[in-house]
Amino acid sequence: MIPLINFLVVAFMLIGLGAYGMIVKRNLIRILIGAEIMGNGVNIALVAFALYSDVFSYTAQGLVILVISVAAAHTAVALVLMLMFNKRYGTVDLGQPVDTEE
Amino acid sequence: MGGNAMQTEIEFLIDLFEQVEFFLIAGLVLILAYLALEHKDIVYAVFFFGFMASMCAGFFLLLDAPFIAGMQIAVYTGGISALMIFGVLLLPRAQDSSLEVIQSPLARKIGLRLSVVVMGISAAMALIFPWPETVPEGAPELSQSLEGLAVWLWGTHGIYVQIIALILLTSLVGAIAILKMEKAESFESIIGEFGIEADPTLDDEVEPETVDDVELDAVDAPAEVAEE
Repeated sequence: MIPLINFLVVAFMLIGLGAYGMIVKRNLIRILIGAEIMGNGVNIALVAFALYSDVFSYTAQGLVILVISVAAAHTAVALVLMLMFNKRYGTVDLGQPVDTEE
Repeated sequence: MGGNAMQTEIEFLIDLFEQVEFFLIAGLVLILAYLALEHKDIVYAVFFFGFMASMCAGFFLLLDAPFIAGMQIAVYTGGISALMIFGVLLLPRAQDSSLEVIQSPLARKIGLRLSVVVMGISAAMALIFPWPETVPEGAPELSQSLEGLAVWLWGTHGIYVQIIALILLTSLVGAIAILKMEKAESFESIIGEFGIEADPTLDDEVEPETVDDVELDAVDAPAEVAEE
């Protein structure tokens, strides 16, 4: 059996990579990808805890289903907000000088 | 005795196979996640993210959670990646990697350190948190059967499904509302005492219409005179 710590190391490395993407990148799509990678890391950690803990049971799997659904929902809303941002400022890069309507 | 030895050998081989599988998937996931963040072409980056999400399903299979693995592939690889690709296609400026702002080395270094701090804090919080004490006594043990999960999810804990449905419906309506806001503002049912007419900045936009009306009246006037 694979030790729990192996799964946790990968999960937290994914969380760290996602945080790196969210902090360093200025492109909104890359920031969204970073958030999704963090979500994946959290899901792996939750399911790993569920398997290796006797009492955690189905709660973790229920939580992961909830997290995946919320990820889908927030991606849809984030993409719509990106489209609105692009329509208003003409770019999806947060670091670029923007062309305001005024 | 011989049978026992053979069984031990098979168990050892299965264990070894699982270990190799784990390290293979872990390596692929981490490389694909890095490429999703660092690849110059954003379309390829989104594709790498999709591959990474499907590789994560391998972890869930290793963790005896086949339903979560299926959901991961259906939602992340099939849904979110496709949604992102369509989003990129709708944003022509996002596809041009030459327009992307590259952070300075100092900012990258600070970002890297901050992400390590985030990783450490999340790991510490997850490991310190008393997980067993948060679950009430008498909770069902994890038997990893789909039937048990279905009964748990749809029978005794239907609120989870209801919350998920509510979140998805709200986000769907919200996304459509945000995208169609400008069009919706032109509907008469929204214009009114409590609608957008209360905004004084919109009065200027109404004026040209009245000018057009006046001009049209002026054009129509000679025709009316001629008829008389």
